[in-house]
Amino acid sequence: MTWQRETFKKIKQIPREEHVLPGTALCAGCGGLEALRLAAKVLGDDVVYVNAAGCFTMLAAYPFTPFKGSWLYTTMGSAPAGAQGVRDALDVLIAKGRLPKEEDLKVVVLGGDGSTYDMALSSTSGAITRKLDFYYFCYDNEAYGNTGAQLSPATPYGARTTTSPCSLQHPSGTTQEKKDIFEIWRAHKPPYIATVAPRYPLDLEEKFARAAKFTGPKLFLALSACPTGWLYDPGETPEVAKLAVETGLWPLKEAINGEVTHTYIPKRKPVEEYLKLQGRFRHLFEPTRQDDAIRHIQARVDEYWQQVKG
Amino acid sequence: MQAVRFHGRGGQGAKTASRILGTAAFLEGYQAQDSPIYGAERRGAPVAAFTRIAKEPIRERGLIARPDLVVIADASLIDDPAARVLDGIDERTAVFVNSSLTAEQLGAQTSHAGRLTTLDLTDIALQQFGKRGAISALLGAVAGRLVGLRRESIHEAIARELADFGLAAPVIERNQTVALQCYDAVRTVSVVAGAPQPIAPAQLQVPTYEPPTRGTARISAAANSVLRETGGWRTFRPVLVPDKCNGCWLCFAYCPDGVISMNKDDRPVIDYDHCKGCQICVHECPTEALVAEREKEGAVAWKAK
Ligand SMILES: Cc1ncc(C[n+]2csc(CCOP(=O)(O)OP(=O)(O)O)c2C)c(N)n1
Ligand code: SF4
Ligand SMILES: [Mg+2]
Repeated sequence: MTWQRETFKKIKQIPREEHVLPGTALCAGCGGLEALRLAAKVLGDDVVYVNAAGCFTMLAAYPFTPFKGSWLYTTMGSAPAGAQGVRDALDVLIAKGRLPKEEDLKVVVLGGDGSTYDMALSSTSGAITRKLDFYYFCYDNEAYGNTGAQLSPATPYGARTTTSPCSLQHPSGTTQEKKDIFEIWRAHKPPYIATVAPRYPLDLEEKFARAAKFTGPKLFLALSACPTGWLYDPGETPEVAKLAVETGLWPLKEAINGEVTHTYIPKRKPVEEYLKLQGRFRHLFEPTRQDDAIRHIQARVDEYWQQVKG
Repeated sequence: MQAVRFHGRGGQGAKTASRILGTAAFLEGYQAQDSPIYGAERRGAPVAAFTRIAKEPIRERGLIARPDLVVIADASLIDDPAARVLDGIDERTAVFVNSSLTAEQLGAQTSHAGRLTTLDLTDIALQQFGKRGAISALLGAVAGRLVGLRRESIHEAIARELADFGLAAPVIERNQTVALQCYDAVRTVSVVAGAPQPIAPAQLQVPTYEPPTRGTARISAAANSVLRETGGWRTFRPVLVPDKCNGCWLCFAYCPDGVISMNKDDRPVIDYDHCKGCQICVHECPTEALVAEREKEGAVAWKAK
């Protein structure tokens, strides 16, 4: 079965109106901001963002905010709990007749991978189990970025971070595999989960439009190419994201009530093309080529897509 | 002791330059200390780093308020009030600016009365590397020359510090070569080591805390981030060549900051007060209708309002 976009068929359907205004202090070329901007075009302004500490803290640096709606800042581990509080407050106000139902707001968690895969995992699990009606938007830059790109459970094998450098003991840099948060979420059976990449804007917009139909936890994992942590020229952010998808390393998919559909089937270029663009993988090619490590990364991708077809 | 303060924009290499300088000094047997300012610095935003060099142990810590040498990696920082590059300097202070202007021209524009020297490192990097990128090695070499360090130590320090970035060996070698060209080319001005800086005693002030309902920072405005201009972050600006544009909307779709809007004729309009100069639009434009032009002082350069 091939996946069809129903709402967003042409690029000129991307809404013109901006909902994340300029003037934020995020890096030039930030892939996370690129993804959020597109998501917000569907989410609109009637939103309360609940933001876990991370680079996105920089969105609303006092006394400025890029949002027309509300934004609330929480600790790294507690954004979903914060979202619960906001949702409950809105429900109470509606029940008391102090907020007309039509003026209800969407509650959207913004969390980095450090929060999402690591510190806020228990809080997220709790929120999904309680069927909290919220969006979770994880911008995944595969490291604790705000503090200078340290290893997180989202860092892939072979990437170099400041706390997993290429060393004699660990020539590949990171030795762990990226945690499969999508499957951890899916095991909780929320109504909607999707992965997105801002280089595929129509796929992204369509998924946010589809998610709107569901009540309950709606979870998004956005590939957020990060020039600062991944070490490439900021102008190449879309190119890096494109290769992440085209090599099969970042599958575009959704899961509705647990049933997974891949929304785009890449022809699967060799992973090398993706790795070579980024300084965080340079040690796999220089000064000596680490064929084993590169083959290992390729084998993991091949394995993944094998099970997709099977 | 020599105290050197570096100013740059995140991603330009000011922090690494301060490390290169410190490492080179260390290799010559000096005590050296280098540290960047810790904050929410981002690619393009103003950053600073500090290097102290001395024969004797260095007891001083923290920011350098009264530098002997200031190295400015981007001339636009002089006009950016947030960067505070001219803080604590007087006629005694040596100042290097990466600029296409001569020291005389720049001196006439700024209020700095002291020793000033310039070199157009951005242009040299463009010519020699063929693309924009960090100029840390070049800055480090210039600073090394000005404080009187040897070529060999700069050469070795660049190798050590750039290796940390996962750069390919030929790239590092190229950086060393070009950096040493800058080392030779920069017009020297003498850097006079200052007396140890007297540190004024600080008064401990015990803050009074309001309860969270009152004391939590609150913004009661909608979308006021536009008041904060980020146009000064750019070293290159995207410029539209209207004839080449086919109206495809891709630049609009991919701009992270939402500073490109499409007009009635499907042509991009760029908000230069906020464009950070990432060049995504230039990379992604399928018809090469967007080109990168270097921001130059005296020309179209952005000014903080
Ligand atoms: C409990 C706790 N530990 C450490 C920090 C310091 N800290 C602030 S932001 C950050 C990085 C967060 O990483 P991630 O969630 O991946 O977001 P990113 O910075 O990459 O956007 C850290 C470690 C903190 N705020 N709270
Ligand atoms: S460090 Fe990376 S994720 Fe964080 S603001 Fe910069 S580009 Fe974005
Ligand atoms: Mg992160």
